[in-house]
Amino acid sequence: MNPLPVTDADLNAYADGQLATSRVAAVEEALAHDPALADSVAAVRRHNAALRDALDPWLEEQIPERLIAAAAGPAHAAQPGARRWVMSALAAAATLLLGLSIGWYARDVDLERDGTPTTFTRQAALTHALYAGDVNRPVEVWAPEEKRLVTWLSKRLGFPVNAPDLNGTGFALVGGRLVAGHENPTALFMYENADKQRLSLQVRKQRVEGGEVAFRYAIENGVGVFYWIEDNCSYALSGNLDRGQLLSVGRVVYGQLAALDAAHGK
Amino acid sequence: MSVATDAPLPQPDLLAAIPRLRRYARVLTGDVNRADDLVQDTLARAWEKRRLWTAGTDLRAWLFTIMHNVFVNQRALARRDQMHVSLDDGEGGEAWQIPVHAGQYTRVELTELVTHVGRLPVDQREVLVLAAVEELKYEEIAQVLEIPLGTVMSRLSRARAKLRLAFADGPVATPLKVVK
Repeated sequence: MNPLPVTDADLNAYADGQLATSRVAAVEEALAHDPALADSVAAVRRHNAALRDALDPWLEEQIPERLIAAAAGPAHAAQPGARRWVMSALAAAATLLLGLSIGWYARDVDLERDGTPTTFTRQAALTHALYAGDVNRPVEVWAPEEKRLVTWLSKRLGFPVNAPDLNGTGFALVGGRLVAGHENPTALFMYENADKQRLSLQVRKQRVEGGEVAFRYAIENGVGVFYWIEDNCSYALSGNLDRGQLLSVGRVVYGQLAALDAAHGK
Repeated sequence: MSVATDAPLPQPDLLAAIPRLRRYARVLTGDVNRADDLVQDTLARAWEKRRLWTAGTDLRAWLFTIMHNVFVNQRALARRDQMHVSLDDGEGGEAWQIPVHAGQYTRVELTELVTHVGRLPVDQREVLVLAAVEELKYEEIAQVLEIPLGTVMSRLSRARAKLRLAFADGPVATPLKVVK
């Protein structure tokens, strides 16, 4: 049998692991007899590996919120194709129209008081869905390095944060990460129970005049979110749990933070 | 209490696809900000067309196809700048910054390799990255880019020939050589 001559396409396919099995023997024989061909296959494989090495870390980068919103559809997204300056202009115009001088956070909180879904809970739910759904890499720093995690997040947020201990509710700390917020970065702590259900607690600074918002509950795209604002910090606890379960975990979180504040003499 | 009244999450999990879309967009545009604009436009199109996606098929390939079309259309509209990628300096360079990591290759080597990839014409660059990094099947690449399979193979050959030339005696060509 006279096999077809080995082509460049064969070599590429062989190096990429895509060669039809019927051609493999012919290519391997050619490689065995021609060191130059073998070199070129080896170079392709090295370049593939190096390119993946180089570009894979991009996958770990923090995702801008406008893209998270765009993935959830037009109800959540800015106008398709709208660019940052357009959005800022719209934001400025809307702020003027609403006669608000304290910015978008306050506007969100006001809307929330009217019972409208807010960007805050929506983002908390979307962020939760994004990272809780990532089986292998839900967090950037894992629980065994909790101390480093807390130090890092406190530094980035500009105030001390802690990962509450939820072991009593069956949820163990998985770890945490920094995520984008509107104006301020947000700390995210991820927890998981024996059934592999995940919860996330998100904390960020929140400039609100008038201070506090009691426990609120919302369902966003199937994710339950409990949130509250206290001491200029907003907290959002998100998970695919029912309201009662989520609320009981929320109370534990709230209680621990209050105890911590008391200990610090607030 | 507020209960969202919107439709539930789309069938295709667009959120989970964002990191790969951003990476591919950066390969196409060579610019972080333009890449994210492209991703945003792609997500908007994907949302509109979400019912056309066949559940169970490769979502990545479907989204890359949409992104490719959005990119090509935008490029046609903006012929003036030819989407020329400036990778050596200025804004564009940011797109190609290689994070520090402990792999087989040094950061310098990887940066050099990626810079060379960035200098390839965009039609060769996209085939190369889809094959080497995303590891799509050649047939899928042909569908994504709406070109014949033979064209995929010839662009891939040309891209790789250029890289080999660039690294004929460069560091990435011989990472395993032990110098005593």
